[in-house]
Amino acid sequence: MINIQGLRKHYGELIAVNDISFTADEGQIFGLLGPNGAGKTTTIGCISGLLRPTSGRVTVGGHDVVAEAQDARRQLGIVPQELALYSDLSAAANLEFWGAAYGLSGTTLRKRVADVLDLIGLADRGRDRTSTFSGGMKRRLNFGCGIVHSPRVLLLDEPTAGVDPQSRVKLLDLVREQARTGTTVVYTTHYMEEAQELCDRIAIVDKGKLLAIGTLDELRRLVGEKDLVRLAGRFDAAAAARSLEGLDGVEVLTVASDSITIAAAAASRKLPAIFAALASAGADIQETTLSVPSLESLFITLTGRELRE
Amino acid sequence: MQFVRIAALKDLRRRLSDPAALAIWIGIPVVLAGMLSFISNTGGTPPRARILLVDQDKTALSGLLPAAVRQVNAPFDIEDVTLDAGRKRMDDGDGTALLVIPAGFQNAVAGTGSAELKLITNPAQQVLPAMVRQAMEVLVESAFYSQRLFGAPIRKIAAGTGAPPSAADVASIAVEINQQMAALQGVLLPPVINLTVKREASAPPLNFGQLFLPGMLFMSFLFIAQGMSIDVWDEKREGTLQRLLAAPQSAGQLLLGKLIAGIGVTTVVSVVGLLAAVFWFGVAPSRLPAALLWCAFVSGALIALLTFLNLFASSQRGAELLSSVLVFPLMMLGGSFFPFEAMPAWMAAAGRWTPNGLGVATLKELLYGNVSVTALGIGVLGIGIPATLAFVGAWRRLRSFANA
Repeated sequence: MINIQGLRKHYGELIAVNDISFTADEGQIFGLLGPNGAGKTTTIGCISGLLRPTSGRVTVGGHDVVAEAQDARRQLGIVPQELALYSDLSAAANLEFWGAAYGLSGTTLRKRVADVLDLIGLADRGRDRTSTFSGGMKRRLNFGCGIVHSPRVLLLDEPTAGVDPQSRVKLLDLVREQARTGTTVVYTTHYMEEAQELCDRIAIVDKGKLLAIGTLDELRRLVGEKDLVRLAGRFDAAAAARSLEGLDGVEVLTVASDSITIAAAAASRKLPAIFAALASAGADIQETTLSVPSLESLFITLTGRELRE
Repeated sequence: MQFVRIAALKDLRRRLSDPAALAIWIGIPVVLAGMLSFISNTGGTPPRARILLVDQDKTALSGLLPAAVRQVNAPFDIEDVTLDAGRKRMDDGDGTALLVIPAGFQNAVAGTGSAELKLITNPAQQVLPAMVRQAMEVLVESAFYSQRLFGAPIRKIAAGTGAPPSAADVASIAVEINQQMAALQGVLLPPVINLTVKREASAPPLNFGQLFLPGMLFMSFLFIAQGMSIDVWDEKREGTLQRLLAAPQSAGQLLLGKLIAGIGVTTVVSVVGLLAAVFWFGVAPSRLPAALLWCAFVSGALIALLTFLNLFASSQRGAELLSSVLVFPLMMLGGSFFPFEAMPAWMAAAGRWTPNGLGVATLKELLYGNVSVTALGIGVLGIGIPATLAFVGAWRRLRSFANA
């Protein structure tokens, strides 16, 4: 349904998206996971046709987003990161307008507006002005405006950013519901848990580059069965690295004067050896964290940084 | 075109949800017109001077003085009062001037005594007391020449008992005056200067309200255009502009919708203003359709021009400042604050070439005169070409504006 090949987007010297390729099929929830500034929103902008790619090709439902922009856009529904609503109109009027913007009219439009109001839990507030809504209600309406025309592809750009836990659960349910009806969902987030919970396939992006892609299990396999050990304290980086490299089954991911990250299978059993090696290198260990394999550990393995940094 | 209609309806709904803004757009010109009207103190009737008259002579000639004033059709109202009442009313500011005709006035006019007229004027008023003073000077001068020419008959009148003169006396006085006139005929008639007055056929002059109405309408249009054109910034801030540009509709349709919504608002204002012209200024209803179309055309052009400008500002605040910097001089020059008829010629000539000035000038002709096809064509092209260029420019600019 969505096919992206060699997508690049440059702003002068700045490379926002650097050679990203992926496909997403019908009924699939495809996650773009990465920290802020990774290029997720720019990728969504290129898919939606708002931004013109510097190079590469994006097709939606077989239509090129540049050469056949109108046909491609008809397939799309967009839920932007920031609210994009007419606060001086009612919820129903907002839905009517966005439905009409995608070609709905008459009875079909009215029925869809009623259905969506019901779906997003705003049926009893449909005639109320949007400016009177809570943040969570606005988020749900923002989502509703993206699906009112029953798009074949739904682009969701961090739809749960700044949302309370209750509304977040409701929104994630709505996303799953869309995928169940056959809609292809592209979902950007920097919440690892959300991606793990929701997405069928995930692409990890950082600094405009696609670092890894696959199902959750495939990505976990990339880090193997290795746990992640993070040590904080004072280290002689070179000496610490040398002493750790001598240990069997221990992989040093990052070394700095105040922190070290290590990947190791069954790390809890190797901790005494690790502490001993570091002590011999003159290290002063103040904090130790051990994580089981996850997208987070994969991200650290791939980038040497934490996802939330 | 379906989307254009929907986009226009959406913007109209949004405007209607903010009645305060609508009231301000419409209300400011009405308030300004009211204030200007108040300052000009017209309201259709010219101001009149109130002269408080104290007649201490109570003779036939002193009675003739107010009668003479009334006969010259001067804008004066004369009211007989006592001296005390007159002074008190002048102290209260209730009167333009207090005229005291002293006892012995008739004898003075007859040349058998002397008397001094007293005229006390109201210092709080500027123009009307000066007019009264000048009128009194003319009357005193007339009395002097009358005394020189018709001293004998005047003395005869003055010598009367106060009762109405007999028919014989009237005949005698008339004969004397007639003889005097006959003696002067050789000198006075025929007049040395022969004045011929030729009246050109022309439309009656426009009154204050007629002059101001088109300008006030266009002041309203400029306010509305300013408010409607800034909406691209509101939509950008609310994120709806970007979302709309991702929809399968062209940016041109979106802009056209905004333009139509703006014209919808100005049309409501136009209908109210033009109906006022029919009811208060007697404009023929048959002139309204053309005037209404013209108002819609020019107001749409103003919205297009300001929208184009707003898209090049670096921020919403900058856009608001930019449009204000443009709109207020346009109002001044384009005949909204002052009619062209009240401007210096060079300023009126320049103002008539501003978009709203062209609009005002042509609307005046459409309402009160006869607009020629050439003038209308110049107006349409003079406004239409820049507005079309602005619209196309805004269309091309909108996507990069939304993403900036």
